[in-house]
Amino acid sequence: MNSKWRVRILIGLLAAVLAAAIYFPILKQRVKKQARVQQTSEEQARRELVQSLNANSNEPKVKAKLFWASDSEDGTLAPTIVELPLSNDPVLRAKQVLNTLLAGPVDAELHTLPSDAALLAFYILPNGTAIADFSEAMANSIPSGVQSEQLAVDSITETLEANVPQVRRLKILIHGQEVETLAGHLDLTGAFPVNGKAVALVVPQKK
Amino acid sequence: MSRLLSKTILILAGAVLTGSLVARSQNPAQGLAQNSASPSRSGLNIVVLDPAHGGTDPGARGTGGIRESDIVLDLAAQLKRNLESQGFQVMQTRTTNENPSFDDRSALANAQTGAIFLTLHVSSTGLSGTVRAYTMPDMPIAQARGGLIPWDQAQAAYLPLSRKLGDAIQGELTQRFKGSPANVQTAFIRQLRTTAAPAIAIEISSVSMQDKANLDRMLPGVADAVVRGVVVFRPSYVTPAVPGVPPGARP
Repeated sequence: MNSKWRVRILIGLLAAVLAAAIYFPILKQRVKKQARVQQTSEEQARRELVQSLNANSNEPKVKAKLFWASDSEDGTLAPTIVELPLSNDPVLRAKQVLNTLLAGPVDAELHTLPSDAALLAFYILPNGTAIADFSEAMANSIPSGVQSEQLAVDSITETLEANVPQVRRLKILIHGQEVETLAGHLDLTGAFPVNGKAVALVVPQKK
Repeated sequence: MSRLLSKTILILAGAVLTGSLVARSQNPAQGLAQNSASPSRSGLNIVVLDPAHGGTDPGARGTGGIRESDIVLDLAAQLKRNLESQGFQVMQTRTTNENPSFDDRSALANAQTGAIFLTLHVSSTGLSGTVRAYTMPDMPIAQARGGLIPWDQAQAAYLPLSRKLGDAIQGELTQRFKGSPANVQTAFIRQLRTTAAPAIAIEISSVSMQDKANLDRMLPGVADAVVRGVVVFRPSYVTPAVPGVPPGARP
């Protein structure tokens, strides 16, 4: 092979490397964008599905007790009575009250949960342990701190306690995953007691 | 796996050096804290300070640019000086901008004899200029197995002492910072659960202050009140009884 060909091959290789260097970041960005769109639309679909539970219900309206932040005492919750067409099915009922809790009171200052967070799934196991799966905004948008994180969890557990007697304990997941803390402080590795304060934090016993 | 193994070795080495032994298995749920092999000194001698967050985790952030991870490091330095002047030995889970894991922070306290643990925080919310002390809520008392208590429930046996410590400190804080609660609060704080010592969290409100100088001005008062509370608590310190652990042995 003469030197002319060697130079041509070298130039060809360099051109290929250069093209790859330019193209790969564009490709990476496209893949990322695609994943984001897909995730957002999934969450949107789930949110619409859950929200439609309240809108389509034919149940008569009953007085539900929801716990948002108190406007008179710092760091505490206060019950608010909201008329909702609550289902008799405990899972649907829990979804209805939690979605109303997420939507928040009229006064945005009294929100306990991030307004962009969504309930993705809710189940109740036969032993009374409920699993509530929230979108990532629940962990990412909540103000970080012991007080704010505890208030968020308390507003969920107290609202469930007041409206869904079948729930004994609550396990919180973030986007389907078990996480160590809500936003750096509150322990989400166990289940929180609901309906009976005598039931203490249940620490998972790994085998 | 190798990270866990190296962590276990590190904790064992640290524990052996300090004269008491904390053993961790590779499964944290089966990790167990073992009694001190050497005769334990009685009384409270050591205060472990835990400035929360750090490294890539700034903790709570205010619109005025205040970062929780920086403020708690300043508070720890002031607390250290005041505590040492009262004759306490002070250990810190971090002294620079790094972020040890929750378990590593607990491990430092769990390897000591006669220690209390204070985790330091600044919140995003709450009435500005107030300070709260927190303990864990009720936990099931863990049954020790072969003289070892489960790592995941290490705080359980210490809860009554933690409440006493929290009330002593909250009492001092409330006198100085009006609007703070009268009693120690409870919260499921991850950092406290694995700590085998009287342990509380202290949280200042808040990073939402526009001027960092206002928050900085609170720190000497917080440090002074906390140290006064620790001194009030000191005579109450006893070795708690743990089911399955012989009396006199340190859980």
